[in-house]
Amino acid sequence: MKTIKIMTIFLGIVVLSCTNVKSTWAEKPTNIVFLTWKPNQPEVWDTVIENFHQKNPDIHIKVQVGPHSSTQYHAIVAQRLKNMDKSVDVFFMDVIWPPEFANAGWALDLSSKFSVEEQNKFLSGPITANTYQGKIYGVPCYLGAGLFYYREDLLKKYHFKPPTLWKEMLKQGEVILKGENEQGLHIYSGQFKQYEGLVCNMMEFIWSNGGAVIEQKTGKVLLNDPTVVKSLEFVRDKIIARAAPRGVINYEEPESLDLFIQGKTIFHRNWPYAWAVANDQKKSKIAGKVGVGIIPAFQGHNSASTLGGWQFGINNYSMHAQKAWRFVQFMTSHETQKILALDAGLAPTRRSVYQDPEVQEKRPHLNAFLPAFKNTRPRPLSPVYPMISQELQRFFSHAITESGSDISEMAAASSARIEKFFALGAMIPK
Amino acid sequence: MIRKDQHLYLALLLPAIIVLLLFIAAPIINSFFLSFHRIIIGLPQLKTPFVALDNYLQLLKDPIARHSFFITIIFVALTTFFELLIGLFLALLIHHRFPGRGALRACVLIPWAIPTVVSAQMWRYLFNDAYGVINYMIFGANTNSYIPWLALPTTALSSIIVADIWKTSSFAALLILAGLQVIPEELYQAAKVDGAIVWQRFRHITWPLIRPALLIALLFRTIDAFRVFDLAFVMTQGGPADATNVLQLYGYKKMFVEGWMGYGSAVSVCIFIIVLVIAVAYVKMVGRRLLEANV
Repeated sequence: MKTIKIMTIFLGIVVLSCTNVKSTWAEKPTNIVFLTWKPNQPEVWDTVIENFHQKNPDIHIKVQVGPHSSTQYHAIVAQRLKNMDKSVDVFFMDVIWPPEFANAGWALDLSSKFSVEEQNKFLSGPITANTYQGKIYGVPCYLGAGLFYYREDLLKKYHFKPPTLWKEMLKQGEVILKGENEQGLHIYSGQFKQYEGLVCNMMEFIWSNGGAVIEQKTGKVLLNDPTVVKSLEFVRDKIIARAAPRGVINYEEPESLDLFIQGKTIFHRNWPYAWAVANDQKKSKIAGKVGVGIIPAFQGHNSASTLGGWQFGINNYSMHAQKAWRFVQFMTSHETQKILALDAGLAPTRRSVYQDPEVQEKRPHLNAFLPAFKNTRPRPLSPVYPMISQELQRFFSHAITESGSDISEMAAASSARIEKFFALGAMIPK
Repeated sequence: MIRKDQHLYLALLLPAIIVLLLFIAAPIINSFFLSFHRIIIGLPQLKTPFVALDNYLQLLKDPIARHSFFITIIFVALTTFFELLIGLFLALLIHHRFPGRGALRACVLIPWAIPTVVSAQMWRYLFNDAYGVINYMIFGANTNSYIPWLALPTTALSSIIVADIWKTSSFAALLILAGLQVIPEELYQAAKVDGAIVWQRFRHITWPLIRPALLIALLFRTIDAFRVFDLAFVMTQGGPADATNVLQLYGYKKMFVEGWMGYGSAVSVCIFIIVLVIAVAYVKMVGRRLLEANV
């Protein structure tokens, strides 16, 4: 009897608390769930979202934070969207995902909301990346591009101009190393761990040698092309364990940047966020001594930067698409992008922000980024990109880790596997 | 009366059975089910056709999976061997009576109590090529000879093996210690009276009597080692050049990163079957040993 009594009381409490929640629910603003990852400056994002709340009292943004790594964050977003999870309204998308999300029907087609006229106000690189089969699926929030950082003070000391060729970089580096004679000083650092960042780094070496991994129009895999093989050999023989410490083979962005801001490398490849870190007096030993420009190239070819950056997408199954769109609009407005540029150091995607006098005055380096931003090229645009990327990571890691390896033999095997992925994509009934 | 009792037993067992079915049987059956289909979550237009054993046939021909299997075997063999060896040593050590034994026993368990993700992160720092303590301990200030442990295929795998040995030796020690504690003290006293030295006492009393406990530790460690995932995931992500791409990580990447659910499930099912076979084989062996020990 006692149990029954306790159970009844317990049930009563549950029922009461439920009705309680329900009665207050009606007066509460609509919850819009924004799925993202922890940014480097969370306080700036909090301010921006607070601004949105003040202007839109009928909407409450609930931020859900996922893992920082793009690949792991992708696993979570993909799982939730695939299950038609209605509890996500707005999500952050890496620049390589729109084709996949569009094809799978996860991202809402924004063509009716995001007019071509409005699209033209953004830089063209990220707009192309958000377009799939003529429709647009995301609104670019901030831009990423491979940038080439260097020690301005050291280059000046030895009367060098920032190198435009990879060979030139090595030569200047040799001279500086000899002159400085400092233990642990290296020429270059970048990201060469077997992960997505490796693809970004290697693409830049391949493009700057006139090569490409996949011919976008025909879908032909070009891994065995001499331009590709030559650039990989260059990285294996001249960069790894020569210009850069061998440890870079397990480095992501933070570790490679650490090396640079500790004054242990002369040249460094990273995304725009590294500028603020490298010039932070508290963290960096080289604050104020940093220069930035475009990635070097091989003789006779043009520099290219891998396009990166993040976009807002709206869940196709969201119950509040209209309100979610208001949030996305606000987050990508001139005002918000300006705050993100000024306080979080993020590179705007809207052209007008670059012309804003306050931005030009307080963030003069953004204009130094522009040449690289205009040089951006996307990674292969495909709904099966995650598979292609895993195979590319495997291929690149093998190619640069094993000295004297037969790159073209591995290229043949990898090409065959990637062609198989494309064959899967081609099976989609039109 | 007995019938009524049976009903009560069944009723009391029911919650446990439901939980087991729901959280253990159902996912396993679902994995089997998925592994017979071609499911690519990025390409929902392809639907999810039944492909029978196609995923398994592909897996047999997959050189990357074969490589992953090979390194997983190396990992299992080396970690289990050293964990049992060190575990035995630790167990003998903390079995003795000495001041502070309780505190030491607790300390031995610390590595095992730390979540693997945390200890993996710790080992990643220890093995760092520029500021890692391990390089500093070996080479001191001579930074030019520092070894990039996680950047060379062989040392990367060894690093993960070392991290696993550090972490789970204490678990093996715990199991072996339990075996040591059931050995009656009188046996040792009798042996001492007969003039047996330490080695003889170990060889003829301790060793035969802790063998069942050792076998159980071996069983747990082999099964656990086969499912290694988190260490590689945190320390190297499977690199460099796939050197630490253990089977479970390969399955995870196929399933969650590439969205190839069917194929990834086939990998998981294979791991499940391998582990099951090992478990059955060991249990049969342990069972026989236990009987022998009782005779």
